Amino acid sequence: MSDPRIHHCCTFRIGDACFALPADGVVEVLRGGGLARVPLAPEGVRGLVHLRGRIVPVVDPAAQLGVSRVAPERATHLVIALQDDWYGLVIDEMLDVVEIPADRVEQAATPTTESSGDALIGVFAAPDRLVHLLDPQRMIHSLTRLRPQAPERQGVSHGRS
Amino acid sequence: MSDNREFIEEFLVESSENLDQLDKDLLALEADPADPQRLASVFRTVHTIKGNSGFFGFSKLGALAHSGEHLLGKLRDGKLRLDDRVAGTLYSMVDAVRTILQSIETAGNEGDHDYRELSRTLAAVAEQSQAAVEVATAPSTPAVPPEPSSSEPAAVEPPAPEPLTVAHAEPVESSPPQVTPPPVAPPAPIQPAAAAVAVPGSAAPNSPAASPPATVSATETTVRVDVELLASILDLVGELVLARNQLRSVDSDDPAVQACSQRINAVTNALQETAVKTRLQPVEHVFNRFPRTVRDLAVSCGKEVQLVIDGADTELDRSLIESIRDPLTHLIRNAVDHGIEPPDVRAATGKPRAGRLSLRAFNESGRVTIEVSDDGGGIAFEKVREKAIARGLVSAAEAAALSPERVLQFIFEPGFSTAAQVTSVSGRGVGMDVVRTNIEAIGGTIDIQSVPGMGTTVRVHVPLTLAIMPALVVRCGSERFAIPQSAVGELVPVSRDRSGPRIEGLADAPVMRVRGRLVPILFLDQFLGIRETTACREEGTVVLVRVDDHEFGLVVDGMQSAADQFRCRDLLDAASLSTIVVKPIGGLLAGLGLYSGATVLGDGGVVLILDLRGLQRIARLPPVAREPEAALVPSAEIADRYLVCGTPAGRRVAVPLADVVRLEQYQHDKVQVVADRAVVRRGEGFTPLADIDEVLGRPPGATPQTLNVVVIDGGDVGVGLAVATILDVLAAESPMQPTAATGVSGILSLGGIATEVVDLRAARRHVAIEA
Repeated sequence: MSDPRIHHCCTFRIGDACFALPADGVVEVLRGGGLARVPLAPEGVRGLVHLRGRIVPVVDPAAQLGVSRVAPERATHLVIALQDDWYGLVIDEMLDVVEIPADRVEQAATPTTESSGDALIGVFAAPDRLVHLLDPQRMIHSLTRLRPQAPERQGVSHGRS
Repeated sequence: MSDNREFIEEFLVESSENLDQLDKDLLALEADPADPQRLASVFRTVHTIKGNSGFFGFSKLGALAHSGEHLLGKLRDGKLRLDDRVAGTLYSMVDAVRTILQSIETAGNEGDHDYRELSRTLAAVAEQSQAAVEVATAPSTPAVPPEPSSSEPAAVEPPAPEPLTVAHAEPVESSPPQVTPPPVAPPAPIQPAAAAVAVPGSAAPNSPAASPPATVSATETTVRVDVELLASILDLVGELVLARNQLRSVDSDDPAVQACSQRINAVTNALQETAVKTRLQPVEHVFNRFPRTVRDLAVSCGKEVQLVIDGADTELDRSLIESIRDPLTHLIRNAVDHGIEPPDVRAATGKPRAGRLSLRAFNESGRVTIEVSDDGGGIAFEKVREKAIARGLVSAAEAAALSPERVLQFIFEPGFSTAAQVTSVSGRGVGMDVVRTNIEAIGGTIDIQSVPGMGTTVRVHVPLTLAIMPALVVRCGSERFAIPQSAVGELVPVSRDRSGPRIEGLADAPVMRVRGRLVPILFLDQFLGIRETTACREEGTVVLVRVDDHEFGLVVDGMQSAADQFRCRDLLDAASLSTIVVKPIGGLLAGLGLYSGATVLGDGGVVLILDLRGLQRIARLPPVAREPEAALVPSAEIADRYLVCGTPAGRRVAVPLADVVRLEQYQHDKVQVVADRAVVRRGEGFTPLADIDEVLGRPPGATPQTLNVVVIDGGDVGVGLAVATILDVLAAESPMQPTAATGVSGILSLGGIATEVVDLRAARRHVAIEA
């Protein structure tokens, strides 16, 4: 935990791509469903979920990360903490908690979609797959910049690699 | 000094409490200048401030407190008598100390102001009067107990403090043990301290410093807790309540499980109640300052006012306590400045010279009522009436018909003031509307009563808490929403049968008539995009809500029924009103302006709380003048009103307004013929159309490009009368004359012209026969 050369990360899958977020920011993994819809909510906000006394907005980063959207009936919600706020991310499946040596993280080969901004920190080649390291703060920030009713962003080429 | 931050914060909190106490004590002393316990208490308070400021190195504060202490020492020792001048100087000192403390709190330093002049004044007051007073007050001298030792104030330098002094801010150091009471802690802030409201002249020695035993017990039984911690406890309790509800819905035949479930249920209820209580504080925290406010106002207005405070231990959520401070201060200023007459005027009318201002707080049907009542001159209805006419709020004729209660409502209009002269205290005309806005912002209401010559009473009703409030849970499509109950005026069912009110008006500006008011209507499903076209225009419920000056109707599918909503009876109110715990939804969604928060219902569902102000603003609903207009259009007249139309053939006809559901406009090509019937598509249904001229037994006129359709009751979807023009809405000027003409129920004088009234039964028949 204290070694700055090792990233402790939770890895998860959205579509065919594997992503990682710092493990210490993960609050809980919820089974999908049970979302309260928010009429006229900004694009990307899927709804609200109740967790430990808080109302947590659940956002869908798929479009932002340029991967195919999670089927609602299979969705899992990964709740992460950003300072005092909690956000739920719609993902397909939780994978392992892994240790990623900092010196094995490489710059992303191709810039991701325009909307993903600088959320992608780098890429780590695990034995069996490619893991995309995300900066939670930047990711949520670029999501919250989306205006209400923004047109959907789809079909961006990255992600299938 | 940064290590001391925590101690300094403690010091600031305690000092501000001590200053409130000081204000009270000084007021009490003005009533009874020789009260030795008060004098001792005041002295000790200032001494404590001096000691602490020395410890933290606040030199200005220390010097000022020292000068004050010196003056107080003279008073305590009977060498000086408390008169207006001395009191005034001491109040200046209290204000200066407060200013410095504020500066320390906000800026971290004592500020740039120079208080040496004030210190000199304090010293001068202490020295000057000495000779004269020594003789004059000789008798009272022995009555003052020497406590602490009289030589002590002369110790100029703040003594070296012990660590204890910081942590508990006790005036311990250097007080000779043989004469002082045991070290005394400051008043405990959380302790409601039942009798702690100082009323001028009250004989009760309620200063905590003056009654050591009581204070000791207060420190032992109360504890300072971080507000955040209390909030998280409340959150956890909310979670527990949900879990409890789920547990109760599990069927189990095992008696052990049942018993356990019952027990958890009982404990959860008790825990919830207790947790809510931790958020409450006595209104005393606001009332505390008012004796001083009233005194200062009375002096500056040249009036004599006796303030009576009652119910200061009534509790209110801490977040609301601050919100009521300004409105109440304003009401008190009004009462002293405009309400209570000058002493001579009062004497001339046989009233006591001193006016009586009463401030009363009490619980009433789940809300807290705070009443500001004076026995002054009351509000001059005629002046208000004149002013309302002058400002164009009503016409002279209308104003004359208004009841006094109605007239009083005008003082809540923006910029309305009847004060003949603008004083520095109040009367700038920015008063009552702001008060009302502030009170309504926290879900409260305000009403006013006044009897000329006898006084005025203003009652402010506020909810106990904003974190937990009663709300109406409504259904709209597949969604549920909570509407704060404080905003809900009434529920009006809309049904297809012809009883009860209906939604009328053109499609883009629907309105509903409620006792003479035309209230704008918002279809919630349509507005929030839940459904493309509204399904509840003719089958639903209109929730009439009121926000600030606006009233509007929200059309929803219905109420969440109590049975769906909760599995447990203790959480619900009869009419699907539920007590909800308001939770923030975060910046991501708060920015929409549509929702003010969310809550979790008993069934675990997350429900958004509608932000009615935001809805009104975003939907650009037109304002409805509220009470005055209601008075101007008595509902009885509606039965006599008629919609006057021109037919395509050029005839002038009338339809009783009470039967008109709505007015619509269609392009000619939208009319379809289905099974030999002319219909227009509306939403998912079809409204049959009747040509008005045919109903009247005439050949149809040329069909205009744009059809105006008057929809009347009939069948499932109403019957549309196709007319050429809509002319006016007019009141009948004569009784109806019978006539034998086809499709005409009678003839009336409308707008000075004889007009045929359409026989609506004939119109309905016309449509049906064609079928």
